[in-house]
Amino acid sequence: MTDHIGGATARTLTRRGALALGGLGLAGLAVGSWPRLTAQDIPGRGDDSMTIAILGTRADAEARQALVDAFRAEYPGIKVRIQPVQGTDWKDFFAKILTMVAAGDPPDVVYVATEGAQLFADKLAEPLDDYIRRDAAELQDYFDDVHPSLLEAFMYQGSLYQLPLDWNAANMYLNMSTLEEAGLSLPAADWTHDDFASVMRQMKSAQGSGFTPYYWTNRLFGGVVPWLYTNDTSFLTEEKAPGGDWFWDRFYPGDPARATRGGGYVWDGANATDERVFETFDFLRELVAEGLGVRPEGGGGESLVGLFANGRIGAAPAGGYWVQGLHEAGMAEDGFNVQFFPRNRTQRHQFGAAGYAIMSTARNKDAAWEWVKFCSRRESMELAFPTPNTTPTRRSMVNAAFYSETGPKNWQVFYDTLDKFPTSGPIPAPPAQAAVETALMKHVPNAVSGSSRQTRATLANLQSDLERVLRSEQ
Amino acid sequence: MSNATTNASAGAPARLEHTELPRKESNGPLRKQLFAWILLAPTVIGMGVFTVIPIIGSVVLAFFRWDIISAPEFVGFENFVSVVTNPTVRVSFLNTIVFVVIAVTLQLGIALVLAAMVAERLPNWLRVFFRSTFFFPLILSAASVSIFMGYLFNEQFGAVNWLLGLIGIAPVPWLTTPTGAAAVVIIVYVWQNFGFSFLLFVGGLGSIPKEIYEAAEIDGASGVKKFFNVTMPLLSPTTLVASVMAVISALQVFDQPYVLTRGGPGDSTRTAVMVIFESGFQQLEFGRASAIGLLLMILIMAVTYVQFRLSRRFVFYQ
Repeated sequence: MTDHIGGATARTLTRRGALALGGLGLAGLAVGSWPRLTAQDIPGRGDDSMTIAILGTRADAEARQALVDAFRAEYPGIKVRIQPVQGTDWKDFFAKILTMVAAGDPPDVVYVATEGAQLFADKLAEPLDDYIRRDAAELQDYFDDVHPSLLEAFMYQGSLYQLPLDWNAANMYLNMSTLEEAGLSLPAADWTHDDFASVMRQMKSAQGSGFTPYYWTNRLFGGVVPWLYTNDTSFLTEEKAPGGDWFWDRFYPGDPARATRGGGYVWDGANATDERVFETFDFLRELVAEGLGVRPEGGGGESLVGLFANGRIGAAPAGGYWVQGLHEAGMAEDGFNVQFFPRNRTQRHQFGAAGYAIMSTARNKDAAWEWVKFCSRRESMELAFPTPNTTPTRRSMVNAAFYSETGPKNWQVFYDTLDKFPTSGPIPAPPAQAAVETALMKHVPNAVSGSSRQTRATLANLQSDLERVLRSEQ
Repeated sequence: MSNATTNASAGAPARLEHTELPRKESNGPLRKQLFAWILLAPTVIGMGVFTVIPIIGSVVLAFFRWDIISAPEFVGFENFVSVVTNPTVRVSFLNTIVFVVIAVTLQLGIALVLAAMVAERLPNWLRVFFRSTFFFPLILSAASVSIFMGYLFNEQFGAVNWLLGLIGIAPVPWLTTPTGAAAVVIIVYVWQNFGFSFLLFVGGLGSIPKEIYEAAEIDGASGVKKFFNVTMPLLSPTTLVASVMAVISALQVFDQPYVLTRGGPGDSTRTAVMVIFESGFQQLEFGRASAIGLLLMILIMAVTYVQFRLSRRFVFYQ
């Protein structure tokens, strides 16, 4: 071993060497992992790809690959990257998109459901009006095929922000086996709340313990809101904004409900202490007290499909998105069926829809519009929705062939909901939807438990919470 | 042995000693400091970027109204006033305190009893088995555990009510009544977290000299007396560490109530961290969320301070 090299000792050399090696190692590590550290290794990151965020997993993104390939074949100059963002529900998904915005890395296009339509329109999205006017002839086929109520759900202050591609109304699914065991058949289309209670009562007595006649979850879609809508009320006041004539006159001049169309929904007041709201909650409270319905839990009801397929549940509110799940859970075509929501003062239904919104920060809005327009074509929607795990917004796609392998026999109910009940409305979701939903979810369990007095007191508390939320938004 | 020393003892030229030793004396501490700083740098930078700067940012943000999208607007103490007067925030802090008292008591109590049983009465292979088994829930994702537990405690279809039904007990509305929901959140939290305290207690029990127990036995102490007069005092340093960590962790509970109950029914299981999350990421009121976060931080610091002050009276160091 050499003790002296160039006047330095072996000890100092070793330490320096170690430091130098360590430094070199760190530098090498930094250089080698630079793409990872800066996220450059994510496909599409750092190039000019258009980023499209969807609620879902990598598998959901891969399921859209055929659509992306078809788009790329027609628009080779536009690179597309589907970015799946996981979330427990839409509220969670929107929170993550907002975090991406705050981090300076927003997507260019986002698949937004009714729950977030006004949040995005108010703060994040680009109105489509100019594009729609420009490509009106090309879009005529789409508008001819899609019910105007679905478009109105994406109008905000007179402008249109999304072209809805899929939607679902809160219809009533019925387990035919349990219904028949109670000596019943599918209820009539105009069945009432009282008919509903009677059907549930008979199913319960036929099945006994361990069976739940009516299962519902505590959320904006399919929770208490469909019951409120059929009682011609809601927990928020509902009005229409002025404007939108440019759109209705151009694309829906013959709409029978033309006079009622406006520039989009406005939900800016609390209405929880309305007497009809109390009536509705009291009806649900009685259902729960009698053991005909469950006390609703929060969440998306992930276990519902399996329980319904196993005959543990008699009825539940859901849309066309349930069909494929029930089929995969082993339910035969005649094992279940679907009917309109039971009527009360009206038979107005609740629905939710979704479509792509172009972010106002999108780098290439024209390219983003081409994607939005492309996805609204029938052949694109057939690629996007090959099975009935949702309801396509194009009426022509909701046909016997679409449900031939899965059922239900009464599949016409899905689109008839809009045709027969044109006043059907979207999920009440103002820009402060998350806070509104939190307030509603917080009070529903208490409002449907205990006595009528408790229901009224809880609705008063809901009213104050909603007022606070809506006041802070103004 | 250093080269300088070797050369000096061998009668090497004085020039080497004269030129090298003084330089080493003057630069040595500096080099050592530099070396130490290089080693510490990743941690210091990490702490700075991910802890200190966010804390400072959060303090500043508490005085602004900011929804991520628009520019922040200075509002003074408005967020703090809004937080203090908001009934949901008040209830969430109260819930958190009640949760901490019950959950931490159960967590430490169960962990201590099981640790004492495992340490004393079981063969070695069973000790290893139980150590692993009790620690296992801690390495699971709290969200996954909560989803699974949600199924188990479902009123209509859950296994828990099915088991209770076998012995004639009517279905319990676990997740849809305030008491039931709070009980489930506590049960799930304690089940998942007691393993850590258990390991601390096992370690602490192993460090108590056996001679003390032998002396106690000679003096005629029973098992219970030994536990309270020998084990507990000598285990008190471990108990302090376990309780401080358990309290800090419980004050920040989020996953279990968020997944199991979403804070309901009503506000019955809404916790302070849930309100921070809801204010920030759902209601886009990041200033208010920061203000609540600051209040929670002050609460954690106060409780920890009290614990350490009390430890002077109750903790016995050998």
